[in-house]
Amino acid sequence: MSKQVVFQSAREMPPMAISLNDMGFNKTGGWRYLKPVYLEKLAPCRVSCPAGTDWPRVLTLAAEGQFIDAWRLIRAENPLPGICGRVCYHPCEAACNREHFDGAVSIQALERFIADACFDLRPETHQREPRSERVAVVGSGPAGLACAYFLARQGVGVTVLEAAREPGGMLRLAIPSYRLPRDILDKEIEDIAALGVKFQPGTRISSHVELEELWQSFDALFIATGAHHSRPLKIPGEDNAGVMTGLEFLRSVNADHDIEIGKRVIVIGGGNTAMDAARTALRLGAHPTVVYRRTRAEMPAIAEEIEEAEQEGIEFIFLAAPRQIRRVGNTLEVECIRVELGAPDASGRRRPVPIPNSEFVMETDCVLKAVGEEPELPFLSESMETSAGLVIHNPKGLLEREGIFIGGDAQSGPSTVIDAIASGKQAAKAIQLYLQHGHVRPPKRRDKRSLTEEIAFEHLNPDYFTPAPRADAPHLVPSTRTASFSEVKGAISREQAIAEAQRCFSCGVCNFCDNCRVFCPDVAISRVDSAYAVNAEFCKGCGICAEECPRGVISLVEEER
Amino acid sequence: MKAIATSTKKVITGNHAVSYGAMLSRVQVISAYPITPQTQIVELLSEFCANGTLSARFIKVESEHSAMAALIGASSAGARAFTATSSHGLALMHEMLHWAAGARLPIVMADVNRAMGPPWSVWTDQNDSLSQRDTGWMQLYCESNQEVLDSVICAYKVAEKVLLPVMLVLDAFVLSHTAEPVEIPDQELVDRYLPPFRPLYRLDVNNPHAFGGLAPPETYMELRYQMQQSMEQALSEWERADEEYGELFGRRYGLIEPYHTEDADLVLVTSSTVTSTARVVIDELREQGQRVGLLKIRLFRPFPSEAVRHALRGARKVAVIDRNISFGAGGIFAQEIKSALHNHRGLPIFGLVAGLGGRDITPATIQEIIQYAQAHDEPEDLVWIGVKR
Repeated sequence: MSKQVVFQSAREMPPMAISLNDMGFNKTGGWRYLKPVYLEKLAPCRVSCPAGTDWPRVLTLAAEGQFIDAWRLIRAENPLPGICGRVCYHPCEAACNREHFDGAVSIQALERFIADACFDLRPETHQREPRSERVAVVGSGPAGLACAYFLARQGVGVTVLEAAREPGGMLRLAIPSYRLPRDILDKEIEDIAALGVKFQPGTRISSHVELEELWQSFDALFIATGAHHSRPLKIPGEDNAGVMTGLEFLRSVNADHDIEIGKRVIVIGGGNTAMDAARTALRLGAHPTVVYRRTRAEMPAIAEEIEEAEQEGIEFIFLAAPRQIRRVGNTLEVECIRVELGAPDASGRRRPVPIPNSEFVMETDCVLKAVGEEPELPFLSESMETSAGLVIHNPKGLLEREGIFIGGDAQSGPSTVIDAIASGKQAAKAIQLYLQHGHVRPPKRRDKRSLTEEIAFEHLNPDYFTPAPRADAPHLVPSTRTASFSEVKGAISREQAIAEAQRCFSCGVCNFCDNCRVFCPDVAISRVDSAYAVNAEFCKGCGICAEECPRGVISLVEEER
Repeated sequence: MKAIATSTKKVITGNHAVSYGAMLSRVQVISAYPITPQTQIVELLSEFCANGTLSARFIKVESEHSAMAALIGASSAGARAFTATSSHGLALMHEMLHWAAGARLPIVMADVNRAMGPPWSVWTDQNDSLSQRDTGWMQLYCESNQEVLDSVICAYKVAEKVLLPVMLVLDAFVLSHTAEPVEIPDQELVDRYLPPFRPLYRLDVNNPHAFGGLAPPETYMELRYQMQQSMEQALSEWERADEEYGELFGRRYGLIEPYHTEDADLVLVTSSTVTSTARVVIDELREQGQRVGLLKIRLFRPFPSEAVRHALRGARKVAVIDRNISFGAGGIFAQEIKSALHNHRGLPIFGLVAGLGGRDITPATIQEIIQYAQAHDEPEDLVWIGVKR
């Protein structure tokens, strides 16, 4: 240890105030009443992602061009990045702190780029020791796929039953290929099959008895059959020839079946099915008109889909509700009534109220009904069902019957792909607990110390960030789009991806920028392996490290004495 | 070491004489902010840097305070550093002047004497530089363009010897913007006179030191004592530098310059360009048989008290012309002279303030001063010359 230099006279001293030895003898740590703690916080993107993808770390890897590692890290939370990189409603971007600076990070475009960069890559089959338990997953939509994936990674034997000829559920049956090219879907399903998951397409469970049999032969069941039953309009004439559900229409087109819709098409509804149906009809050469009983603001469809539909020239009639459908020769007449918005209903949206004597008639060749879907669960016993047709919401995904779990749209009613993935993932955790302990407890937080606090823009130090324009995914021009089923959204380039990933603030997540180490006036911070260490002998708790941390990783806590 | 100086002669302004002096001193870092009447100094230096005549870093800054701060960094890193300023620019540097001196950095700076505002003035007087009297900088007041050029080179020699900065002062316009023939010595010879700067300590990652840290009461006073010791040592270093310069280049100026003081009853004390005017008046009066003499003070800090006492030993009266005023007291050079003589003998010293804000000090002004001093026996501390009351 160094010693303090003591001068007896001016003759012994240098001419200026200069150190002649280090200050090691001066243990400034004793001055401290606050101490810095590296306490990672939750980034809002991660909090808002139903699957909980660790975007700060994924993007740190991507910023260094390490796309394979980035892909693996996404897949630690979400097995379908190529799909979500295209069809997710990206709540991560809405939450992104960079929105308060110069525009949110283009996370979805990055997710797609990372997945596409790994398109030719098979995932490593690094699951745990195979286990004896076997689980059947009924339904191969995003919820079923996610559940199968997370169970298989733990070594559980999984068999996925699918009623249709090919797995994918709504991803394949409903989402048009201009939003989700089928090679991407196939690839990500193959990646799950590569983990040892068995797929049994063409297997429909349609009765309580069949479910019971299945329950006997597996250790646990996960029901993820989705919400495929289209709600009726409940108006006269809805069974006329030329009237079909949006889902039926999409299913036929997506299965390459010939289907006659004529030139004039009326789509009734304002959700994603309505948008998909209208845009698909447009691509088949029809002129679709969307009739919706509320205004654009209340439309439940993803905003991006509405915008793209508008760009493509699809006509919208808002504040109109169909009253009846009549067939007159080769033409269908749809009688509608004007409505206005009244008091909020149970969904919180304002209820449409008909305006007397405002009826009008539209002529059309085809009507596509898309006013919502609900689950169809004929195989459940009555005690498991509710009067509304939906299974009682159960956050643990656990039914009353032991070992039967339910999730995805079958549980929640129609929702989004990422919510279904999250539900499947949660079910996988619950099923594992059930297999191990015979009961389900709420999963514990990963780390009690961290991941508790969500970090807001005010906790960042934006002085260290340089404004940089956001890279948006390119889109085909509307006129080119509607001529085919080519993918509408394009990909960003590798250079754009790296630059865009570098825009990530890495909120609350240390990316070893070294500011803390460089700014510490006591040289008390050092990098040890993959972490920083604070030398308590010299850290005087000044807090400069916390202040200069661009991303709010360091917290000052009171020193315990 | 006798040598015959080789040189070129050019007709240049006082400002450009400073630039040439800095260039020949091979300064390595220049940082400055423009201000009238100094700007031409750094303007020419920037051209020297741009055209390769001088291999130096020219750092543009947003204020004089930053200019001096930049030089403090440069000098701490071991570079020979130079700047020039004037008046309000110098005042803005004030804090950094203390730092440069306390850190013992041999920076050389030219200050073109310009009156302080308000009222705005661009003309000469000495209040700007004399306001910085106690910052620990050596101060040298020049009379001619040649002296300016030669003094820059000598300044580095002394500064780097005693580790204190030098402020080289020249009158606004009378020198700064007035051209006269100046011998520009050959670089080779200047190099022989002025070796490269070898700092005692410098910023060096391989030999790290903390600079300018906290000094407790146990050591602060000793560091200040050392500064004063170095100031005292600087007197002989200036003598030696001046002498060596004379040997190599054939020109020397002394710390003070007595002129007909030997048998003078009245000795006039001047600094800067007033000296040239006074010399003419002294010659005229001598021809008329008057026993008047002249003492030019060139080095103001450290103040050459001993030399001044010696030069004034035969005088019966002293009249000090101050182109400055310490408000509430009087002319600052007069105070210095009084202070130097006070404990030695009761010599009447007249303090006369003249020529503030660039008002001309003409031969007639000087004659008036001499007549006043001759006519009075009881000296006053402050006599205003030429003021319209």
